[in-house]
Amino acid sequence: MTALLVLKGIDTFYGPVQVHFGLGMEVRQGQIVCLLGGNASGKSTTMKIILGLLRPRAGSIFFEAHDLAALSTPQIIRAGIGSVPEARRLFSAMTVRENLLMGAFARSDRAEIARDLERMLELFPRVRQRLTSRAGTLSGGEQQMVAMARALMGRPKLICMDEPTMGLSPLFVDRVLELIQAVNKEGVTIFMVEQNASLALAIAHYAYVLQAGRIILQGEAKDLARDPRIRAAYLGGETEPAA
Amino acid sequence: MGSWLDYTINGLIIGNIYALVAVGLALIFGVSNLINFAQGSVYAVGAYIGWTCFTYLHTPLAVTALIVVVACAGLGVAIERIGLRPLAGAARIAPLLATIGISLVLDQLLQIVFTPDPRALTSPLPNWRISVGGGTIGALDLLIAATGIVSAAVLYGFLRFTKLGWAVRATAQDRDAARQMGVNTDAVNMTVFAIASALGGLSGLLVGMYFNHIDPAMGFQATLKGVVAQVIGGMGNVPGAIFGSLLLGLTESYGVAIFGSSYRNLFSFALLLLILVLRPNGLFASARSTPPEPMTGSFVTPNRPVRVPRWAIVAAVVIAAAVPLIPAIPYVLQVLTNAWLFAMLAISLTLVAGTLGQISLGHASLLLIGAYASALFALDSHWPVWASIPAAGIVTALLGTALIAPSFRLRSHYVSIATLGIGEIVGLVILNWESLTRGPMGVTNIPPLQVGNIELDNPRAAYWITLGILVLLAMMQTRLLRSHLGRIFRAIRDDDVAARAHGISLGRYKAIAFAFGGFAAGISGGIAAHQYSYINNETFTSTVSISALTMVILGGMGNVLGAILGAVALTALPEMFRGTAEYRMLIYGVALLLLVRFRPQGILGTT
Repeated sequence: MTALLVLKGIDTFYGPVQVHFGLGMEVRQGQIVCLLGGNASGKSTTMKIILGLLRPRAGSIFFEAHDLAALSTPQIIRAGIGSVPEARRLFSAMTVRENLLMGAFARSDRAEIARDLERMLELFPRVRQRLTSRAGTLSGGEQQMVAMARALMGRPKLICMDEPTMGLSPLFVDRVLELIQAVNKEGVTIFMVEQNASLALAIAHYAYVLQAGRIILQGEAKDLARDPRIRAAYLGGETEPAA
Repeated sequence: MGSWLDYTINGLIIGNIYALVAVGLALIFGVSNLINFAQGSVYAVGAYIGWTCFTYLHTPLAVTALIVVVACAGLGVAIERIGLRPLAGAARIAPLLATIGISLVLDQLLQIVFTPDPRALTSPLPNWRISVGGGTIGALDLLIAATGIVSAAVLYGFLRFTKLGWAVRATAQDRDAARQMGVNTDAVNMTVFAIASALGGLSGLLVGMYFNHIDPAMGFQATLKGVVAQVIGGMGNVPGAIFGSLLLGLTESYGVAIFGSSYRNLFSFALLLLILVLRPNGLFASARSTPPEPMTGSFVTPNRPVRVPRWAIVAAVVIAAAVPLIPAIPYVLQVLTNAWLFAMLAISLTLVAGTLGQISLGHASLLLIGAYASALFALDSHWPVWASIPAAGIVTALLGTALIAPSFRLRSHYVSIATLGIGEIVGLVILNWESLTRGPMGVTNIPPLQVGNIELDNPRAAYWITLGILVLLAMMQTRLLRSHLGRIFRAIRDDDVAARAHGISLGRYKAIAFAFGGFAAGISGGIAAHQYSYINNETFTSTVSISALTMVILGGMGNVLGAILGAVALTALPEMFRGTAEYRMLIYGVALLLLVRFRPQGILGTT
């Protein structure tokens, strides 16, 4: 499998504060790859530098043959990356339908867009009932579905998801995870940032663990799920593993 | 005119004209959270382009309008591209200051090219009027109404049905998310500026024809009216801006009908303050709440202020005090005395805008209050001047704080709008309260500076007195800033929510800062009144407020020494180079633009 997205030697700063220290990782085509980490580990910043919302001071980011460091955010989206931002970030005063069509903003194939819209409504039947509602009136779970559908409307090769389960009720968390898997089965590569390690590892193929701006652990998701260090850091709670 | 129907028609027509300005402001605010103070200047440019076309090219109205629209759209694009885009990522208040700078430059350029004299812009339309009920409607009225309606319809169609229109709406709702959908938000900004400027220019042309009068200073009032209309309808709300404009036009028209034409603007600004206090989110907002702007108004860039050693300050004061000993020309002393007076205003503003983070755009009104207070104490109450000036300081502190107090819960841009409105109101109340202020005649024969029987009517004495008072005020303020109070002010500036969460009563501390600032400004105005011997409601206008803000930014926001340095630099330097004095506002505008872009922390740094 080829790598779709490759980050190498990334150093990122917020003013004088360094966030990433030589960050390197890759997302392989067709996989669900997740980046785990606690608060202030640099997860969301990783998302920002991939989407061009923030520029790293050193290092390279390649998506297929595109050097993302040289592209603006809209150009990065047009290159084939879809984004499901943290906290959804729907256009709250626009209708759900308008939100979905905004997802296809970079496309101009009208007939195909209409077909994709219909496909989304089949994939997310709940969204169909709310099509003419203002997006701001939807529940958190419904908004998450609209945000995913909106990203898919751009026909991306890769979708970046920032904490897709954050703030959702447990019922919706499972549903969202199923949908992520379903989307992935249709051939879309998924890169997600998550704080909830057990959930993310349950659906991911490969995972990285970020701590204080450095990758401290990586591997197949099923291996990591059993790794005591992961269990200690993210699942186990207070007790340190016996050495 | 005379019938109510006439006043109604007149109000709606004026409202339509305001709407063309306000819609542009709303679009820009919606997309980039910016009050475009250059909007009125573009409107004035539109009027002058129209005048030029009519006078020299003899183009018919339709062609003229088209030229105005295209040229102003181009100007809007240039403003966005050259003036504002480089500021992306700067403090949120930076673009607002830049638009003020652009506005100063454009207004002054119009004055240089077309002279400050007003000109007639005669409407080429036939001069018939039809009677409707008790009133009449003319061809121009119909044209203005049609322009308003057609513009609104086209705009609606654009926002609703075109891809770029969708991009504009999405950007207005969530800029980052729009970028993540592939929207080129730079292009959106440019589009919005083009539309706003085209509408603004068209409005200027129509207004010029309606009143058969244009002048280079017409833009400022237009910006103000547009901002008022926008606040009524809710900042960034396009249909709200249209509604607000019509309401504003009607309010003014009925106000004029009842009280006379000098009350027109008083009604607009009273309405503005009423809305800001009662419904700061506009009439259509669902709840009474403070505007949801997740930002502080501070323009204070983190930096290390330049440390000026104590001996250097002492030396500077000594040198300044020794200037009158040199057999210099009285003119130099006059210029420097004026600079000290401005410096008092600047340290007052730097406290409020820099240390407390409340960007006041109406600071000159404090000078007016101080000047009138001292002049009237001296003339009508026969107080000696040495008592009337300090009394003026106290009156200004109390009155200025009381006027601004209802707006204490506002933040950032809204503070600027409120202070701007209050500043205008002070001038208009002085104009209309004839029994106290002598109205448009102004106050004459104000006694000169004197202590006991010693007249201090010579330039040297005036110089020393102003310098002495300035040094005293500056020392008091420096002490204040080092105290616990100064820390609280800065805490409010940096994060008012956190400050409040720590039990700091925002209103009380804002009142203290405004009172202290009001005192210094009132003293300055009081001294000025006795020096000028004549004052009226236009002695200190909003131009002075903007100049003071430029001085404060030049010196470094919150920096007392910087404020004085900025005042001296911007008052004295243009005078030193003879011939540049009439380009003063141009210099201020360019200085403001360059500072905001290249050295936002000013010369001496912010504190």
